[in-house]
Amino acid sequence: MAETPRSEEGLTQADIEQKRPVYEVGFHLVPTVGEQGVGAVVEKIRKLLGGAEFISEGFPTRMTLAYTVERAAQGKREKYRESYFGWIKFATEKEHIPALEAALLAMPEALRSLIIETVREDIKTEPRRAVFSSDRLEGQTLVAPKPVAEKGGEVSEEELEKSLEALTGGVE
Amino acid sequence: MPPKTTEQYYSPQFIRVDYKDTELLKKFLNPHGKIMPRRRTGLSAPQQRMLSQAIKRARFMALLPYIIR
Repeated sequence: MAETPRSEEGLTQADIEQKRPVYEVGFHLVPTVGEQGVGAVVEKIRKLLGGAEFISEGFPTRMTLAYTVERAAQGKREKYRESYFGWIKFATEKEHIPALEAALLAMPEALRSLIIETVREDIKTEPRRAVFSSDRLEGQTLVAPKPVAEKGGEVSEEELEKSLEALTGGVE
Repeated sequence: MPPKTTEQYYSPQFIRVDYKDTELLKKFLNPHGKIMPRRRTGLSAPQQRMLSQAIKRARFMALLPYIIR
């Protein structure tokens, strides 16, 4: 069996690739690319990532933006209310990120983009308990349980001595 | 910060939050689109920081509005 090459620290190539930071690029594509053109633009972005390891992807879907996004292009101000939003999660070296950011900024089809460092696993926010409720201070105010007073009563001398012996184990 | 009401007690506690999960993030905005304070969300300080970062990212990406009039 062929041996896997090891680096000076004793790490294999697979270990090094596993240790690479994971990033996610989210991007808005201008609506003028159309349904047919989206695939080609995504392929263009994937090529920009070069030798990165692809982890997961969200294919761009048309969405209405929360506010009008403006940008200056060819001496004119363009306004967009809709876009195709997609994302790609990938692992690569930190040094490649500034070049990717610059390339995305220069892409005329990319309206806006964001690169963040993230984790390999999918982020799923599960409620700690079954109920997710109101976002306001509603509902009953929590009341701390009241301490229950111990029951008092008469204890005979014999019973007291017996219980003390049981506690000390007969040691004088 | 201990929960003050039953509603806060049952609020979601998360380890990570995704800026694309706008349905979850909207629950932590007030009617004007502002981020709720910790005394309202009932989250821990690290969770509140993660939440506010995710909301700010979502705003930049036009997934959430900066302001609702």
